Amino acid sequence: MIDILLFAVFWLIATLLGEWGVHAMEARGLYYSAATSQALDGEKAMAFILTVLVPVIAFIVVMLIYTALRFRSRRSLQFRDNKMFIGIWVLLSIALNILFFVHPSASALEQMFNNEEARLNRHDLIVNVTARQWEWIFSYPQYGIQTAEDSNGNSTLYLPVNQNVRFVLRSYDPYHTYDPNGAVIHDFWIPAFGLKQDIIPGETRLEYVHTNKITSYDVDPMVRVQCAEVCGPGHPFMEAPVHVVSSSDFLKWVQAQRKLEAS
Amino acid sequence: MSANAAGLSGADTAKRQGRRMAPPVIRGLLWAAIGFLIFNTLVSQVLDRELYDPFVTRVSATVGWAAAVIGWLLGVGAWEVIVLPFFGHPVEWDVPNDWRRYFMFSTDHKVVGLQYIFTTTGSFLLAGFAAMMMRMELMNAKLWVFTNPGAYLTTVGIHGTVMMFSVGTVALVGGFANYFIPLMIGANSSAFPRLSGLSHWLLPAGIATVFLSPLLGQWTTGWRAYAPLSGQDPSGIVFYYLGVFAMTTSSLLVAINLTVTIIFKRAPGLTWNRLPMFAWGILAVSLLTIIWVPEIQMTFIISLLNLIVPFSLFEQTGSPLTYMESFWLFGHPEVYIIVVPAFALWQEIVPVMGQKTLFARQWGVLGLVFVMLFSGLVWAHHMFTNMRNSEMLPFSFFTEMISIPTGFSYLVVIGTLWGARLKFSTPTLFVLMSMFNFLIGGITGVLLADPVINLQTHDTFFVLSHFHYTVIGSMIFTWLAAAYYWLPKLSGRMYSEALGKLGAIWVFVAFNSAFGQMFFAGFHGMNRWVAVYPQYLQNINFSISMFAFLLGLGFLFNFVHIAWMWNKGKPAEQNPWNGKTLEWHATPKPGIATFKPLPQVETGFYDYRESAPSVTTSPKRT
Ligand code: HEM
Ligand SMILES: [Cu+2]
Ligand SMILES: [Cu+2]
Repeated sequence: MIDILLFAVFWLIATLLGEWGVHAMEARGLYYSAATSQALDGEKAMAFILTVLVPVIAFIVVMLIYTALRFRSRRSLQFRDNKMFIGIWVLLSIALNILFFVHPSASALEQMFNNEEARLNRHDLIVNVTARQWEWIFSYPQYGIQTAEDSNGNSTLYLPVNQNVRFVLRSYDPYHTYDPNGAVIHDFWIPAFGLKQDIIPGETRLEYVHTNKITSYDVDPMVRVQCAEVCGPGHPFMEAPVHVVSSSDFLKWVQAQRKLEAS
Repeated sequence: MSANAAGLSGADTAKRQGRRMAPPVIRGLLWAAIGFLIFNTLVSQVLDRELYDPFVTRVSATVGWAAAVIGWLLGVGAWEVIVLPFFGHPVEWDVPNDWRRYFMFSTDHKVVGLQYIFTTTGSFLLAGFAAMMMRMELMNAKLWVFTNPGAYLTTVGIHGTVMMFSVGTVALVGGFANYFIPLMIGANSSAFPRLSGLSHWLLPAGIATVFLSPLLGQWTTGWRAYAPLSGQDPSGIVFYYLGVFAMTTSSLLVAINLTVTIIFKRAPGLTWNRLPMFAWGILAVSLLTIIWVPEIQMTFIISLLNLIVPFSLFEQTGSPLTYMESFWLFGHPEVYIIVVPAFALWQEIVPVMGQKTLFARQWGVLGLVFVMLFSGLVWAHHMFTNMRNSEMLPFSFFTEMISIPTGFSYLVVIGTLWGARLKFSTPTLFVLMSMFNFLIGGITGVLLADPVINLQTHDTFFVLSHFHYTVIGSMIFTWLAAAYYWLPKLSGRMYSEALGKLGAIWVFVAFNSAFGQMFFAGFHGMNRWVAVYPQYLQNINFSISMFAFLLGLGFLFNFVHIAWMWNKGKPAEQNPWNGKTLEWHATPKPGIATFKPLPQVETGFYDYRESAPSVTTSPKRT
């Protein structure tokens, strides 16, 4: 009896400490940097799961330590069954998993699918992304920009803030179209945007984000496009800086790009 | 070949044979080399000459390799033990009763078990060395250890492949189970001793093939060898497919042998209700192996043909994702092949160390079996980043649900620990640490099962750390627990408690410090398969590398300690932990029959009440 009481006290302390830790991490930002509403949703899902699981983690860790230190070289209690403990354990583990499946797994996914619905995206900014070994090519069909590049000729991605963006993702090599089987799988990932999407040769994939703050690679290295699926020796070099800017700055940039392409 | 075989036929005693025949391993290497040369030349110079007439082509390497492996297997003893008897000759294969028996074909399950233990340990050290090279490279954001990123990727591939197929899948099954399962179920041999002897020798062939793959060229795909990328690389990937084929065949033969052994060779009275937990675990993973390994072997063969014929099955004009689907269809059960024996060993070691009746045994068995059944339903959680939206929820569902039967292993151990009379020995410590590490692996697994979180963490160091927590943190830690636990049985000698605990704490601290930080590196934008990465990640990577080196040294320390005590330790008692399973009541020396006569099992092995009846009735040979 005294063991159960002592254990409960330790368990409570560990749980409180754990929750405090989770909330400290949450305050710092679980994803370090979140520049889209999708990233915020991801952080929220993660915070929820961790908050619920902290007591479970604490239970097992305290149990492992407590039993190891406490039950040593005394007369042992012999029992092989405890219907109540087993019953609670089994039911609780089923309940927790169903909870997580409903929320956040299904609910957050529902949210994501909604964002992708066409009716909500009528004013999407469309960015065509082409992945080739080993380079990203960004074009803006709505603005007549073929390849968005900085003055040094490196690909860059500019996005306006507070805007739905539809990335249209394809993997092929526009410079070597004679080899239909040359393309491989890449993965379009902007760490600060909180999601990624594989790019499959021969298919067109879409990714939707809603930008929510002005930021750029210059101030935050997580605001970069980074290939996340290994695609050959050049894989580490498949990155490009991203700039999320105000809509007026975006239009200025569009003008400048057009001039650059015309010249 | 015939000269060697003729030289053998007159031999009758082990000594004379030893003098007349080249040592089997040397003979195997020789026959392998001859086989490769003949068939490679035949293909590349006569049957299938290619432009510029290279001496080794993808096709000739494949055919030559097959001949080499057959030559190797025949050379180490399959010629005398399997082929000649097949044609009606008597078996003339005397295994000397000393260290040489480990270097030749053997039909003794204890020798085969030890051969597997030595081979996996060796390949763990080699693949671990590759990991140290990788961590060395990652200390710096720029290239500095490797001369190009492709070399780094080849090293990653070799590390992952060897660790998975010759350590993870093999250490507890080919090694400890081959040795101990027959002992634990009261049998004097495994069901198919010759098959079992053959299976081990495929393993070094496979390991060597994978390590030699750079001879044919770099491969950048990592351990999945995934198409379409594999179709682009130079030919090194051919040796990946071939080497893995040898290693997985080895595991498949072990699984068949152990399944039949457990089903048909149990001692009288050893009913399913009394079957030891470790045997349940091994039965579950053997069935998993039998179900899924042929599937991946077919995938690899198709992918190999895709390369050497060539087809364009997995390219843009074919179906690029099919390879990945087929790979993970096997790949996820594979991780349970690795970890289920570890779950079973927790439940085996804890009641003995606690001298406490096993709690809720039937739930433990249910857990092992349901993990096995579910593991085929979750593969596509490796593919959230490229699947259809409609597929996400079902795979997320099953992935979350598999944590329920997994949790039963914890239920059993915790119930057993409560109120026990725990001996706080090195194996106990390793088991508890392993359970802690798997808890971290499992919690991060629940996070990964959530699609929205997965889309951020997939292909980053978060995932890398997650699966290293399950493979190193739980399986390798349990492997060490088993090694310390059974050392007195394997060698008749005892390790040093102080050094053993020091080793445990050392690897635990180093492991958690290194891999714990990797979760955060992953969130911060560190992706996988990169030898070069943005500067801002250098500090954390430097720190990870330091602890990784400490971890490498810690493993070395444990291995040296075990090897030393194996030969020089204090002689141990027959049953130092007061265990009840049959291996503690038998003579487990290689070359000696274990049970004479067979024991008659009267009750289960995990009852530690004072009034408990004794386990067997027949007189034991001690
Ligand atoms: C001894 C300590 C170990 C260290 C320090 C270590 C470290 C690493 C590192 C740095 C990577 C590559 C990361 C990347 O650039 O993508 C890696 C990959 C991997 N490791 Fe380990 N590892 C260790 C042990 C193990 C063990 C014991 C196993 C399995 C039994 C294992 C299985 C793998 C696998 C499957 C991969 C993935 C390879 C791929 O990306 O295709 N490792 N490890
Ligand atoms: Cu790429
Ligand atoms: Cu890539």
